[in-house]
Amino acid sequence: MSWLVWRQHRVQYLVGAALLAAFAIVIVITGEQVSNQFHAAQAACAAGQGCQSLGGLFMGSKVVGFLVIATLGTPVLVGLFWGAPLVAAEAEAGTTQFAWMQSVTRKRWLAVKIGWMLLAAAIWGGVISALVTWWASPTNAEQANQFDPGRFDIMGIVPVSYSLFAVALGVTAGALLRRTLPALAVTLAGFIAVRVVITLWLRSHYISAVTTTYSVLGNYGPTGAYWRLASGVIGPNGQPLPQPNNTFYFDDIPQTYLPRACSGVAGPNGGNPTPACTQALSHFHEFLTYQPGDRFWAFQGIEAGIFLVLTAALIAVTAVTLLRRDA
Amino acid sequence: MTLAIETSGLTKRYRKVTALNDCTISVPEGRISALIGPNGAGKTTLLRLLAGLSRPTAGQLTVNGGTPRQDPAFLADIGYLGQEIPLYRRLSAEDHIRAGAHLNPRWDSALVRERLTGLKIPLNRAVGKLSGGQRAQVALALVLAKQPRLLLLDEPVAALDPLARRNFLGVLVDAVAMGNLTVLLSSHLIADLERVCDHLTMLASSRVQLCGDIEDLLAEHRVLIGPSKDTTAIERDQRVVQVTRTPRQTTLMVRLKGPVIDPAFEVSEVGLEELALAYLGQEVPPPQAPAHHLTAVGDDQ
Repeated sequence: MSWLVWRQHRVQYLVGAALLAAFAIVIVITGEQVSNQFHAAQAACAAGQGCQSLGGLFMGSKVVGFLVIATLGTPVLVGLFWGAPLVAAEAEAGTTQFAWMQSVTRKRWLAVKIGWMLLAAAIWGGVISALVTWWASPTNAEQANQFDPGRFDIMGIVPVSYSLFAVALGVTAGALLRRTLPALAVTLAGFIAVRVVITLWLRSHYISAVTTTYSVLGNYGPTGAYWRLASGVIGPNGQPLPQPNNTFYFDDIPQTYLPRACSGVAGPNGGNPTPACTQALSHFHEFLTYQPGDRFWAFQGIEAGIFLVLTAALIAVTAVTLLRRDA
Repeated sequence: MTLAIETSGLTKRYRKVTALNDCTISVPEGRISALIGPNGAGKTTLLRLLAGLSRPTAGQLTVNGGTPRQDPAFLADIGYLGQEIPLYRRLSAEDHIRAGAHLNPRWDSALVRERLTGLKIPLNRAVGKLSGGQRAQVALALVLAKQPRLLLLDEPVAALDPLARRNFLGVLVDAVAMGNLTVLLSSHLIADLERVCDHLTMLASSRVQLCGDIEDLLAEHRVLIGPSKDTTAIERDQRVVQVTRTPRQTTLMVRLKGPVIDPAFEVSEVGLEELALAYLGQEVPPPQAPAHHLTAVGDDQ
C-alpha cells in the first residue's frame, strides 16, 4: 500500500520538499547575517562603545521578514494541496474503486494514505517552524514579541499542529464532498475560520490572565515576552477611563479627565505637572492585563493539543464516512 | 453443486429510487453467467453489491460462501471491474502491475505483461494517454492477474472492437476452463454472450426476470405461431411471456408448463436473443396494452 501511496503522491511530496529546501536556504543565509550583526551590536553595547538601536537591524531584511510572517499561511497549503485531493481526487476519478477492489481493506487503505500524509505535514510544519524560530531568535531577544498573535503562531510547536489539522480538514472535506474543488474551498475557509476563532477568542483564556494595577506616575512592564491583553487607566471613582482618539493624553489620561490641578500639562504646549497635579494624579491608576512571558510554552502546548484533538476528530469522521458509505 | 453467488430478497434503495428489488438469484461455481437487462435495470447495482462496494438495504447475499465484507481474504477472491474502468490516469500499466503485486496475495504480473505486450499496448505510457479500448484491455488484464474466484465485470467489452471482444471472451472461457473461476458479466451484446455464457441472469425494472442455466431456460421456452384467434386456452396451460397479435397471426412466447396441444399453433425452439428480447419487451408493471400489441407478465421469477 505504501508503494502505491508513494507512486501516487511522489510529485506532491517532492514539490513540498523542494519548497522547504528553498525556504531553508533563504532563512539560513539571512538568519546568519542578522544573528551576526545582532551579536556584534550587543557586544559593542556591552563594551560601552555605544548602544545603537538594535531594532534597525531587522529592517534590512524586510522581504525575508515578510516571508517569515507569511509562514502563517504555510499550514493551509498542505491542507489544500495534500489533504483535500487525497480522497476527493480519487473519488472523482473513480480510482477508489481500483484500490478498494484489491486485497486491501478500506481501513488499511485510509490508514496508510492518511498516515504518510500526516507524517509529511508534520515534517512540513516542523521544519518551517524550526527555521522561523531560529531566524527570529535575535528579534525575539530584542523585541520580546513572540507571544503576540501572529508571531506565537509561526514559532514553536503550534505550526506542526496547524499543518496536521489542515491536512485532516482537507481529507475530511474531500471525503464528505467527494469533489476536489469544493473541498479546496471548504478547507481554506474552514482553516481560516478555526484559526481566527481560536486566536482571537479562545487563546487568551487558556490560563487566567494576570492584571496588575500601578500608579499612573510610575512605570511598570512585566519582564520577558508577555502578551498584553488590555491596559488603561482607572479614574479616582474606580471607573476605567475611555481612551478616545483625537485628544491629548497625559500619563495615559485623556485631557478631559485630567484633574483641574493638571490643566495645562496635556497638549502641544504641556508643561511639567505641579505638585498639586501630582497629588491629584495619585488617585488615578493604570492597569495592565497580560499573559506572562513564561507561559509561552504552556500556551504552545495547550494550543497544539487543541489542534491535535481537532485533527483526531476529523480523521475519525473521515474513517466513519468512508467505511460506512457505499463506494 | 456449490454456489458462487446466492442472494435472497436482495434490495437496494437509494433515497427515492429502488435500484434493485427483491433479487433472488444463484450462480453455481464454474459458470459464466450473462447479466442482461435494459439500461437502468439494476445490473450495476447488483454487481456492486456482490463486490461489497455497496451495502444492501434489505436481503441476504452470499459470495464465495461468505457475506461481502472488508477482509483481505474475501477481497482477494473477488475481481470487479466497473464500467468506468477506474485506473490511475497518470500511472502506467507497469505501475498498476506493481501496485497489484503489492496489494494482493495472488498476483500474476507476468500474465498481464504478456497479455498487454501481445496486444501491443505500451506498458510504460500513462494509462490516461491510451485509447479507451487499450485502457479497457489494461483493466481487464489487471483484474485477471488478481486470480479471483469470482469475477464481476460490468460491461467489460463495451469499449472493445469486435476482434478484441472475441479475443477477450476467449480468454475468459479459457480461464474458467482452468477451474476455480466463476464469472458474472453484464453486456448488451447478446450475440457475444450467447457464444461464451452457460448461465443467464436477467433483470428488468429492478427485478429478476430469469435466472438459470441457459440450456435449461431455452428448453423451457417455446415460440408458438398460429392464426389470430382466442388464446385463452393456451394462456391457461402455459405461462405466456409475450404475445404479439397482428390481424393475421398471433405469436406467443411461452414458458412451458405442459405440452402444447393446440394443432393450430406451430411450435418452435427459441434462441437466447429471442428469449432475452421477449422478456425485455415486457413492461413491468403492465401498462394499458395497445390493441395490437398485448403483453403479458411473468409473475414469480
